[in-house]
Amino acid sequence: MICSDAFKATADAMADVQGAPGYAYLTTPHPVAGLTPEQVRERAESVVDQVARLLSE
Amino acid sequence: MTTEPDPDVAREAIEYCYEQGWTDGLPVVPASQALLDQFLAHTSRDPDEVLWRMDHLGRECTVQTAAINAAMAGCLPEYFPVVLAAWDAVMRDRAAKGGGWQSTSGPAPLIVINGPIRGELQINCTGGIFAGGFRPNATIPRALGLMLRNAFGVVPHVFDQTTQGIPGRWAICFGENEEESPWEPLATEMGLPLGANAVSTTLTRTYEFVDNRHTQDPEQLLNDFADTISRTGVMIFRAQSAGIVFCPEHAQMLAAAGYSKADVKDWLIEHCGRVEADLRRTGKDAMSEGGFGARSASEEERVPGDVFTPFLPSRASVPILVAGARNAAISMVFRVFGEWSNSSVEIERATVAVAEGG
Repeated sequence: MICSDAFKATADAMADVQGAPGYAYLTTPHPVAGLTPEQVRERAESVVDQVARLLSE
Repeated sequence: MTTEPDPDVAREAIEYCYEQGWTDGLPVVPASQALLDQFLAHTSRDPDEVLWRMDHLGRECTVQTAAINAAMAGCLPEYFPVVLAAWDAVMRDRAAKGGGWQSTSGPAPLIVINGPIRGELQINCTGGIFAGGFRPNATIPRALGLMLRNAFGVVPHVFDQTTQGIPGRWAICFGENEEESPWEPLATEMGLPLGANAVSTTLTRTYEFVDNRHTQDPEQLLNDFADTISRTGVMIFRAQSAGIVFCPEHAQMLAAAGYSKADVKDWLIEHCGRVEADLRRTGKDAMSEGGFGARSASEEERVPGDVFTPFLPSRASVPILVAGARNAAISMVFRVFGEWSNSSVEIERATVAVAEGG
């Protein structure tokens, strides 16, 4: 899972109520909504290694 | 019994509620089993009936939990059927079912009551409907807020992700001023029998006044509403929904000029909107395909700048009601968060006589 860093508190709380405290997920800098398609692509590229690591751990 | 209540004991119980995290910031009424029983006696619904379940949070609210929170909100037991109907009414909204309660928008339920119950419970319908000062108007919406907090665990900064919210989020509840409205009551328009006790509720985002004591021309008056409704800040998607709480004076002026509620809606649908140049200037001229048509800034001009885009798609997106005092021509535009269900819920009251207090 990836969310923007402004939603960390909610993401952690969701993990708790779903019975998975400490669930590992990635964050990307907030905001995301106003980004251009190119900027979104850059964001994706910046986390792709971390996504691979998270999935293979 | 002539013994006066002990304020220190009361305060101790109130502070206990604060320590448990049960309050919205204001003191709550500590609820005893005896008080809870009085609330439950006002409905024939099973205390264990689940009103709503939020699967993703693993939490639910039963009739009994609703009663506890209504008691803590300061409701009288006889308000409880209104609280239940208000909850059922708001949960008909797609947005409320779809996570709207946790939205960054921080939407507020707008609770409108029709029928003779308004008089019986002394629900304010006239002067100061948004201004406080009346127990049912203040405590019924607060009950919904406490249900959200205490039953579902939707608390600020965690599951409640409100960015700023709106003033008076849990305080917007009033009766329609049926006596001074020239039109049929809202619940009647929504298909319930005339005279039914009913609640209509939707989630809302803002309230903006239109003060127009300046003209007797209905079109000039409606243009003033259209100007407020048509601001670009509210345009997130292809279309929006905006309602009007008309003061009696504005409503009567329009009715006298021959406008039915449907006529007013149709006029607003035709005239509310902006030209392309305005949307482009604010970065809202492009729309995603499908879904609700999320707006964004386009890279190139799509259509000529003078092309008009209407904002209100249908009569269902323009709820109209009448409330407030007849002392000035001041009405309120409100923004619906998503789309109102366009329905009213009849208030179910237990027929058994209730033994109050002790």
